[in-house]
Amino acid sequence: MRNLASLLFSLGLAFLLLAIAAQLGFGHTPMVVGSRILADAQSDIGAANIVTAVVFGYRGFDTLGELSILFAAATAAGLVLGHRRAGAPDDPQGGLVLSAGADLLFPLLLLVGIYIVIHGHLTPGGGFQGGVILAAAFFVSVIAKPALRLAHGAISVIEGLAGAAFILIGLWALVGDGSFLKPLLGHGVLGQLVSAGTMPLLSSAVGLKVGSELAGLLAHISESEAREP
Amino acid sequence: MSVTWAMNPTLPIVLPLLGAFLLQPIARVSAALARAVGPAILIACLWVLTETWLAQGGRPFAVAIGGFAAPLGIVLYVDRIALLFAAAVPTFALLFWPWAGTGQEATRESALLLLLVSSVTGLALSGDLFNIYVFYELAAVASFGLVAIHATGRAYVATIRYLLQSAFGSLLALVGIAILYTKTGTLNLAHLAQLAPSTLHDPLGLASFALMLIGFGVKGELFPVNTWVPEVYATAPARIAALLAGLVSKLAVLVVVRLLVLVFNQPEAAQLMLVLGAVGMVSGELSAWRAKDFPRMLAFSSIGQLGMVFIAFSLPGTTGVLAGLAVAFHHLVVKSGYFALAARWGGSLESLSGLGRRSKLAGAIYVLFALSLIGVPPLPGFWTKLIVLVALAQHGSLELVAMAAILVVTAIEANYLFRLAVVLYRKDKAAPAGPEARAPGLGVGLVAPLLALVLLAATIAIVPVTEGLRKVAAQTVDVASYVRTVFPPVSLPLAQKD
Amino acid sequence: MMSLSLEAILYTGAIGLVVIGALGLVLSHHLFRMLLSLAVAEAGGNLLVVLAGYRGGAIAPILGYGAPGTPMVDPIPQALVLTAIVIGVGVQALAVAVLVRVYRAYGTLDLRDLVEHMQGDIAKAAGIPRSTSTHAPGGERPLPPVPALVRHQPRGGRS
Repeated sequence: MRNLASLLFSLGLAFLLLAIAAQLGFGHTPMVVGSRILADAQSDIGAANIVTAVVFGYRGFDTLGELSILFAAATAAGLVLGHRRAGAPDDPQGGLVLSAGADLLFPLLLLVGIYIVIHGHLTPGGGFQGGVILAAAFFVSVIAKPALRLAHGAISVIEGLAGAAFILIGLWALVGDGSFLKPLLGHGVLGQLVSAGTMPLLSSAVGLKVGSELAGLLAHISESEAREP
Repeated sequence: MSVTWAMNPTLPIVLPLLGAFLLQPIARVSAALARAVGPAILIACLWVLTETWLAQGGRPFAVAIGGFAAPLGIVLYVDRIALLFAAAVPTFALLFWPWAGTGQEATRESALLLLLVSSVTGLALSGDLFNIYVFYELAAVASFGLVAIHATGRAYVATIRYLLQSAFGSLLALVGIAILYTKTGTLNLAHLAQLAPSTLHDPLGLASFALMLIGFGVKGELFPVNTWVPEVYATAPARIAALLAGLVSKLAVLVVVRLLVLVFNQPEAAQLMLVLGAVGMVSGELSAWRAKDFPRMLAFSSIGQLGMVFIAFSLPGTTGVLAGLAVAFHHLVVKSGYFALAARWGGSLESLSGLGRRSKLAGAIYVLFALSLIGVPPLPGFWTKLIVLVALAQHGSLELVAMAAILVVTAIEANYLFRLAVVLYRKDKAAPAGPEARAPGLGVGLVAPLLALVLLAATIAIVPVTEGLRKVAAQTVDVASYVRTVFPPVSLPLAQKD
Repeated sequence: MMSLSLEAILYTGAIGLVVIGALGLVLSHHLFRMLLSLAVAEAGGNLLVVLAGYRGGAIAPILGYGAPGTPMVDPIPQALVLTAIVIGVGVQALAVAVLVRVYRAYGTLDLRDLVEHMQGDIAKAAGIPRSTSTHAPGGERPLPPVPALVRHQPRGGRS
């Protein structure tokens, strides 16, 4: 009976949403603000990747909120999971293929992650995307060798300082130039690695923070015990 | 008049974030310093907000973040209602701060509290729809961590149910924002206010509002997404429940009110809110009548009162917003006071037998709050209910039904609140105590008496308080002034970019 | 809408994902499956936001790739979705952490059993006697044996 009611509810929801979608214009969006950003992004910020210009420039405050959400999730997970007992048994280690593959992938993933982070203002990418790949590099190793322990103390220091660096860059703009998170340091040449002012710095801070945070969070989950001692 | 950098409204949002990020590195260096960081930042935020109020004197102003003028960038909009709510945040956070806590657990809890403070301040001050969504999510994630602090199995189950319900609500809000963006192409509230009459006054716009109402209503304890409330308030520490029920819920309601006033100025949207509020109010108070322990009684009672807040805010014009503000702030003070008492009254209602005679102050405070909640003159609760009922009586038949519902609900409230008062003042010595009920303490702490004093002060100064709230309400519904402040007419000198 | 254009497929797909996720969330009673349904629904929601910025025949908003003057898609929804995806990841990771503790506390992830346990624990902590209507319909004393069943015992395996 409950299943029937839920099924009817979902069918009703589907019908409603499809009726809504049928009336939405597709491919003819008003783009009232978007077109102005597309026109102004080069002169305002100087980054070739306009999406990154929006993420770290025009809507930098949203990015700060997003960073804080990840931080809140990691802190809350740390609070919830607590500490692992010293002598608790580990999960079994992965076989030869897994360990060898993890050893091979680790430097490659780090390289790809760093590349994506620092080229965020030129090609699709940026702090978050690269940071997730950096975290994956560590997590592949943790899955293959569960006995590996990440240094959670160092991780919490890195994530704290990287996040503070993001805010301090913004506050520096506030004190120096009058607006929080205003782009500083000149535009440089469009398309060069060193361009777009403080944006690569913000992107790197975000990449470092996200990478360390996600790695710590996933390692924490992986280390926690499944049964009461 | 220019805004100096020390008065910038981004500071009350950004400083707690900075504190939260640096708290754990600081704690490794010096534990005492880490304990002082949180309260110091809250006092600094309060100082910035007070300075802003004194300098601007109630005139609204907008700050474009990063120097990117609206609607390209994000603006913070500071008017009376925003300042009022933003100032309430650090005040109540300081009242319910966990002063006695050591170790890494306490550091994490302080960091989460700072994040909650920052996000809720952002909800009050922001003028951009997606920015509001991001801060709403931050408040949600911070609260997920905070309600699981007691580390009991029941707390975890309550947390995961709250998480799933909240995440689903946020998803619905995101779909609503997607529909809104497809129709209008902008996310700035002032720009949306300009574009709304031509693009959003159709069923599609109403659907978008409904989705956002349900999404943001999760924290506002709106029916039907309020099933998480009783379990979470029963298993979370009382100070966290106080913050969630008292403070965070009001900010969620403020978000919905901004949307209703600025963007979705249609009678159907208001009626939807009225109906959901009324249903929530009646179901909440009926459940409170059946509750058998104090925290859950408070949880259901807060659902009921928030239903009344939604009813009040759904009425158009200055009277609606005035009624809503009156109920909201009254509930903020009373419910926070009740949860402060609940920190020591955790057991079943029967186990509280005779408590009023043993701890005279606690019993007196309980009765004072109960009288105000029910609406006994001359306490502020009476005036708030009167304003709501009078405002409702001036409208159509749906509102008259809501008025009848409020009167019925008042009777139910009186019944269960006085039932507990009778239990408190019972004469028999043999009180059946639950296995984990707290032993009735000799004192009630500082928070509850402080809030009782605030209530009494409001009783004495009821006329100036009402006049002040009326000015706040009048400014809130002035959509033209909002748009003019964010987009100043070109002939005037450019609005301050800071 | 039956013309099966690109727009119909994409919109139906996005909304279908949201509906499938919502169905899974509501119908399922295993916490991890509910979490996965939530992830599917969030993917659908993000897709809807990205679709809000699409412009027919336009290229990605990166300067220096297309000929100058080609229209570009709206960059704002892409930035919004970036934020929304990261938020979703954070919430899901936290949910998994809470699931681990729930399993450790009660040994099951079935929501129906867990709600029973939770309500029981809350009642026990507060000292409230559990309501007996579902657990012991006859109250504290057991029901008397039904005479019909006592007299007619089944013989030799035939019911």
